[in-house]
Amino acid sequence: MYFDVKGKRVFATTGGKPFDNSKPVVIFLAGSGGDHTFWGLHARFFAFRKYSVLCPDAPGHTHSAGPALGSIEALADWLNEVVTALDIKDLSIVAHSQGCLVALEYASRFPHKLRSMSLITSGLATPVNDYLLKAANDNPAAAVDMMISWGFGPAGHLHQGPIPGNSMARVGYTTMWRNSPRALAADLHACNDYRNGKAAAAAVQCPVQVIIAGKDRMAPAKATATLVEHLPDPVVARISESGHMLPLEVPDQCRTLLKDFIFLHNPASQA
Amino acid sequence: MSEFLKFDTLSLHAGQTVDPVYGARAAPIYQTTSYVFPDTDTASSIFNLERGGHAYSRITNPTVGVLEQRIAALEGGSAAVCTASGMAATFCAITAILGQGDHIVASTQMYGGNISLMKNTLPRFGITTTFFDPTDIDACRNAIRDNTRLIYGELIGNPGLDILDLEAIANIGAEHHIPFMVDATFNTPYLCRCLDYGANMTIHSVTKWMGGHGNAIGGVVVDGGNFDWGASDKYPTITAPYAPFSGINLWEEFGPSAFATRIRAEAMRDIGPSMSPMNAFLLLQGIETLSLRMDRHMSNTAAMLEFLQNHEQVSWVNHPNLPGHRSHRLAQKYLPKGAGSIISFGVKGGRDAGKAFIENVELASHLANVGDAKTLVIHPATTTHSRIDAGALQAAGITEDMVRLSVGLEDIADIKADFETGFRAAARLAKG
Amino acid sequence: MGFRTRQIHAGVTPDPQTGSILTPIYQTTTYVQPSVDEYLSKGFTYSRSGNPTVRALELKLADLEGGVDCACFGTGMSAIQAVMLAFLSAGSHAVISDVAYGGTYRLCTKILSKFGVEFTFADGSKPDSVAAAVRKNTKLILTETPANPTMKCTDIAAVSKIAKKAGVVHAVDNTFLTPYYQLPFKLGADISIHSTTKYMDGHNATVGGAVISNNKDHAAAVRFIQNSTGTIMSPQVAWLTLQGCKTLSIRMDAQSASAMAIATYLEAHPKVAQVRYPGLKSFPQHELSTRQASGYGAMFWFEVKGGLKAGKKLMDNIKVWSLAENLGSVESLITHPVTMTHADVEAAERARVGIIDGLVRASVGLEDTDDLINALGAALDLV
Repeated sequence: MYFDVKGKRVFATTGGKPFDNSKPVVIFLAGSGGDHTFWGLHARFFAFRKYSVLCPDAPGHTHSAGPALGSIEALADWLNEVVTALDIKDLSIVAHSQGCLVALEYASRFPHKLRSMSLITSGLATPVNDYLLKAANDNPAAAVDMMISWGFGPAGHLHQGPIPGNSMARVGYTTMWRNSPRALAADLHACNDYRNGKAAAAAVQCPVQVIIAGKDRMAPAKATATLVEHLPDPVVARISESGHMLPLEVPDQCRTLLKDFIFLHNPASQA
Repeated sequence: MSEFLKFDTLSLHAGQTVDPVYGARAAPIYQTTSYVFPDTDTASSIFNLERGGHAYSRITNPTVGVLEQRIAALEGGSAAVCTASGMAATFCAITAILGQGDHIVASTQMYGGNISLMKNTLPRFGITTTFFDPTDIDACRNAIRDNTRLIYGELIGNPGLDILDLEAIANIGAEHHIPFMVDATFNTPYLCRCLDYGANMTIHSVTKWMGGHGNAIGGVVVDGGNFDWGASDKYPTITAPYAPFSGINLWEEFGPSAFATRIRAEAMRDIGPSMSPMNAFLLLQGIETLSLRMDRHMSNTAAMLEFLQNHEQVSWVNHPNLPGHRSHRLAQKYLPKGAGSIISFGVKGGRDAGKAFIENVELASHLANVGDAKTLVIHPATTTHSRIDAGALQAAGITEDMVRLSVGLEDIADIKADFETGFRAAARLAKG
Repeated sequence: MGFRTRQIHAGVTPDPQTGSILTPIYQTTTYVQPSVDEYLSKGFTYSRSGNPTVRALELKLADLEGGVDCACFGTGMSAIQAVMLAFLSAGSHAVISDVAYGGTYRLCTKILSKFGVEFTFADGSKPDSVAAAVRKNTKLILTETPANPTMKCTDIAAVSKIAKKAGVVHAVDNTFLTPYYQLPFKLGADISIHSTTKYMDGHNATVGGAVISNNKDHAAAVRFIQNSTGTIMSPQVAWLTLQGCKTLSIRMDAQSASAMAIATYLEAHPKVAQVRYPGLKSFPQHELSTRQASGYGAMFWFEVKGGLKAGKKLMDNIKVWSLAENLGSVESLITHPVTMTHADVEAAERARVGIIDGLVRASVGLEDTDDLINALGAALDLV
């Protein structure tokens, strides 16, 4: 669906059911260069189980009007505007990679608005490799190649997919590529410049779930350990065989973790 | 900096992880109709496209899935759907996006089955086609109408072996928001990845070079993921709610694999031209040696071109790798490893000489297939096109002396020796 | 659970990865090991030593026979050979019921005898003659009941008792009746052998064999031979046989009922000299057959008046029935053992055990009984 935030058009998918703010809401936030398609299966699962879901394209990404926002802080503010515009009450966030930084920043600024938060494959900060930053500025095709190559674990490199017949790596590549080339560059700079992770994590008040990938080359073990250390009492799960793109690489295990956590902390009515 | 697995590695490994149950190195053959669900929630979530997984082998099958992902990887596509035959792939791909009142612009140089589908079958369902000469880009552009929804062609044309200018046609498609579908059977992704040049989906009869052993019929549709279905309202099957799956909007939810998902959700479910797991297994075996076979096909083709050009019993030789061929430049651009292993040539002495040649070769098999590991020959004027008069033959680009050769993998000396026998018979006939 | 349930479900569980209701065809040579320390943790290393699809069939057949384990082989003959190699060595002796399948006879007299193994062929229908044949170095008694092609039956319980007393392994070739009709282990036997080519497959699609053991030591001895000699069953054959087994009892019942009707018809036919079918009252061991098996099977033989010449006339002219080797399939087959299945048995030995020149062997399939009878009638009219 399309809706307006401060006069700009925002696109979001809603998991195949109309958006309904009277239900508990799950917002899915994608990582750098990603969009709503990253969450297709997971969003549908919750939408058909008494939740209302929203997978927004960030400004300047795929179907949402630009320009791309250049900082995590600006994205957290934008997320708050989305929540306000849609009058969302019982909110859970599921975030991947860069989306986790946005979620952290949002949770620290608006702690009373969140029922729960699930952070997948992220640290407290995401310093970006110089090669990648430079490529994102000068040679977007090479940058997308690096994102996909480093992002996916073995299953992605073997072109497995969450749906039989699909190559998740190629879907990911095409998704990033059809995004405006400026979107990925803006995202990577936002990640690289973000410094407030520690303070934001300390200010979080809602239950937090952290899901870690054992073969993650973008958020390595040291980074995820720092995140876990600074969050108040997180529930931590580790999936050893997955790479960074965990929701695509091990969708069944990821869904089970998300389901158990969100059903517990943001329960939908059994009516 | 990035490291992706290369073509030969993908042709051995893509789509397959070692069987998690027993560690079996070869992909197990899931010769089964159905799959037992652990619980009702899993069942309903698979049916509602909330999770991957298998419900019934008409829709998906784990062995067929390995082949689909392997071909998607080799082509650089986002997803693939295998079908019972190459024709089924073409039919499913077209009907996934076109309906009554829609129009196709297609090359004249295509496999007879494709032409018949567009000329005879699809019009019964209100889908019409305008054919264009693949060497005339303006003819393609001029054939486009308001209701045109697809541009279709074969990279290496049949029987003239003209090469489609992929980039030029992809540009026409992009200008008009029309997807460009290529039948890539004759080239395989080893000789050319059409999606890299702007094609939006490819079709294969995997029966041919992909499988390579003449032991299984099969087809595939590869979704390039690179067409913006949402840029116009021309493709409601992709962008409008689809009732059978709770009004799913495939474009919004699946983006780069929306087209493949539509084929899976509709054609596989409602029409059901599924590939058998046993065929998928045989075809996977074939793809493991795709590049080795194609290299040999190409070296044998080069040797046969030289042999035929210098043979006194041969009046003409046609292949895009020959400098005199009108598609030579495009062949060099799109098919640098070689423009396929089909050669056509004329036997001196006309119709009867062509027939005599065919009847006297022994190693080369006389049949109407192409892309086998074995060398195949056919004389169209007395077989596939025997009921067509001389005028119509000429229009189809077929002459009475023409022999079509599908160069196999045999020792080149044996193929040449076999051809000498055929030519001697043709020569005896000419001398009377 | 009942036989019909077990013939479908025993040994087969839905694939844990995909839920596939049928066991996949593991057409693979090898199995990737998670680590050196976890070698064999998933149960398989190399498809000569074990294969998941073949294993499913082995578990099913072990269950149907009521044994502890089963090993499958490339043919019925390799199953018999495995039993002999497992329990016999140079200088040892085996008692074989006469008559046995021609291939078994050939294996004993032409091959294993070269390696210093001795054999005595004893009348299985007379337990005393089996007992008399047992020597100090006897290690194995192999009986085939009903025997191919004479239909002579061995009293499994009586011979098992003799074997037990002598400390000898008693193996029963249970191919003709299958565990659906005859359970050798309940009668005291140690080993049950099958040519799965016959009723287990049932569709003339595969050749295969199986050895089911009733104790762990015997099972281990046979498994050792299976892996060492490598006479294994292929995954494709195992998979097809798994499908065949699902309808085993239904086919057996229908084919046996048809056999009974056809044997009765032939017995009353003026051009037929004799019919041997365990289900007929006239069968010399009708009482034994009724006692030790719950069905009579679908194999019989008959002789046309006029002997071999008349029999040939019938076999060369019959319709619907196919003149072919093999038995137990849904297609009805007619065989002339003297020139076909038992040609390797010397004429004198054939005469001694009752394979007369005019003997016509019938394997009744699943066609309509009326069609089979009419075809026999028409062929007999030409005699």
